[in-house]
Parts: sequence; structure tokens; C-alpha cells
Amino acid sequence: MLNPGKAVKVTIYLSEGSTHHGVPIYSSILDFLFYRGIAGATVTKGIAGFGADHHMHSSNLIDISDHLPIKIEFIESRETVDAILGKLEEMAGTGLVETQETNIAKAAQTSRARPKVQPEHLKIEGKAQMMRIYLSEEDRWNGKPLYKALVEAMRANDIAGVTVYRGILGYGAHRRIHQDESLFSSHRSSLMLSAIDTAEKLRAFLPMVDQMVEEGLVVFSDVDIIKYAYRAPDAPKEAASPAHDADAE
Amino acid sequence: MKEQFSGRMVRVHFGEDDRWQGKPLYEAIVARCKELDIAEVIVFRGIEGFGSGSRIRRSGHWTFSKDAPIQLSIIDTDEQIARLLPILGTMVEEGLVATSTVDAIRYRRSSASS
Repeated sequence: MLNPGKAVKVTIYLSEGSTHHGVPIYSSILDFLFYRGIAGATVTKGIAGFGADHHMHSSNLIDISDHLPIKIEFIESRETVDAILGKLEEMAGTGLVETQETNIAKAAQTSRARPKVQPEHLKIEGKAQMMRIYLSEEDRWNGKPLYKALVEAMRANDIAGVTVYRGILGYGAHRRIHQDESLFSSHRSSLMLSAIDTAEKLRAFLPMVDQMVEEGLVVFSDVDIIKYAYRAPDAPKEAASPAHDADAE
Repeated sequence: MKEQFSGRMVRVHFGEDDRWQGKPLYEAIVARCKELDIAEVIVFRGIEGFGSGSRIRRSGHWTFSKDAPIQLSIIDTDEQIARLLPILGTMVEEGLVATSTVDAIRYRRSSASS
């Protein structure tokens, strides 16, 4: 929760039409901020403007524009901003990112504690935990499949790895049997997400699961990590395959 | 609604062509679990594997082979799993049943959501 006093205001300027993996950039940035537990963020759409390319973009009806300026603003503590700024700059692509010292006179009130996840990508060895989340393929969160949103949220919080499995038959909290009738048309299967990381990081992620999963089962078990390797951006190729099946029960 | 409990996970491994009273064994087990009101059951089909008897099982896409490896994952409290295990013992003729201890959280939609 933000406290009155010094803070940082971050403003990101984008073009409405710019996309990141097929999704509007502003929407993936907003999801990222949410997953990382940012206190609040606002997206505003401009009616006219120009950016680095010096093209004037306006909402003139004659050329229906999908390049209107978009502005995302949020206010957070200096540490939180520093922790996510690198990733934000990468996500903003050609857009402009501005930070500004600000002062909070009155903090917004929240009814519940927000999730606080330690983002450091730790090297894990030995004891770890596996978190399995059971849900239905039909479950949705903010207009997208819940399993996808959970994977994105785990990725945003640097959970070491997650795999989604589709069951061919199953039932869960709602007692409806899900059967994968046709290989090609079923979107109603039972799903299981399996994620491995340290107990602390998975427990820290749990408040996010609380917020996103309305119906389902989450199961924790202890595992021993035998090998954990991941490919750093410039590491040689033979360096890695995620040892994600170190399931020692 | 959020409910925490400590329980057990059972994983049962066998082949897709294994049968119980004329129907696929995995369907029979899921139906039996439902009768016992077991909390969570999910069936996975593997793409390759081997188990007891060391026959390699494959889900051949082109041959329509039905002998893919099957894994059931069943989760509930210790008491519920204790009721289920003897039944699994009679139903699974050839296969592997493994259990492990888990901490579970169950989320349920309720009219008065917390």
C-alpha cells in the first residue's frame, strides 16, 4: 500500500495501434502492472497528438485512426518503480517512458492487502515446492482464458516455470464432468497448471491466485530440484532446458 | 469461498486400453470417485511411456492406437483417500498407484462471496 510522502509517477506514451504479441501494448502493460501488484494505473486515450515519427494523429472521421496517442500513468514507491522499470521500457517498444518525482498527499484506501511478490529470479537448488492449480478451460479472467492469465501473471512475477496440461476427463469443484469429446472442438476440458519454485515465491504469489481464481483447487507439495537451468539471453544454446519435471514425490 | 486443508494426492498410472466391466478403466474410476464425492479428479493422456510389464505405450496418431499411457490425479482429504484406495486396489489390475501429501486450497463460487 502506498503511504503519503515521496513517490514516483511513471507515464508511458504509446500509440493505440501498437501491439505486442498480437495484443495492444497498453493492455499487456496494464496486465503486467496488475500482476506485479502496482497500487493503481490509469490508461487515457488522447484525441490528437504526435510522437517520435512526427506524424500527426487525430480522430478525424475521414481517416479512422487506430494510432491515437495512449497514456498510461501510475504512482508507486521508488523501489517498486526501479524493480519494474527495465521490463516496462522493453514492453513500451518505441514509446516514451517518463518518471517524475511526486508527492502523495493522501493515499487511496484499499480494503485488502495487495500481493507482494519478490521478483528476484533466484537460482533454486534442493528443496522447492510444486504448485498445481486445477481449473476449467472455460474459466475466464478479464475477458481472457484464466489459465493464460495465470501463466502471464506467473511470468510477470518470475516464477521459474509453469506448464499447462489438458485433461481428457475430470471434474472439480462444480461437480460437472468435463470430457474431451472431440479432439478439435472441445474448450471445456479440465486443466492443470503445474508450477515449480521456492516455497516463499509460490506463497507470495498466492494472493494473486486468490484474486484471479473463483473456483478451483490449488495444491502444494514438496519437491527436490535435481537440475535447474534456464537460458540467459546471450547464453549458448546447449546451456539449458528447463528442468521442469523434477517431480520427486 | 476459500477452504484450506491438508490432504493426499493419488496418482494412478495404467494404459488407455485397460477396461473395467466393459468400459474404459479411467472412466470407471472417475465415475466411482464421483460416487464417493472425491474433491478433484483429472485424467491425462500421455504421448509415450512405459510401466509395469515394460510395454512401451504410445498414442499413435496415425495408427489410432488406443494404448496410450493414462495418468489419473486424484486429490482429497486423508479420510476420503483412505476410502478410495482399497477400491482402486481392486479396479487397477496392472498399473501403479502412488500417493503423496499435499496442502490444498479449494476455491468455490458462493452467493455471499468473501
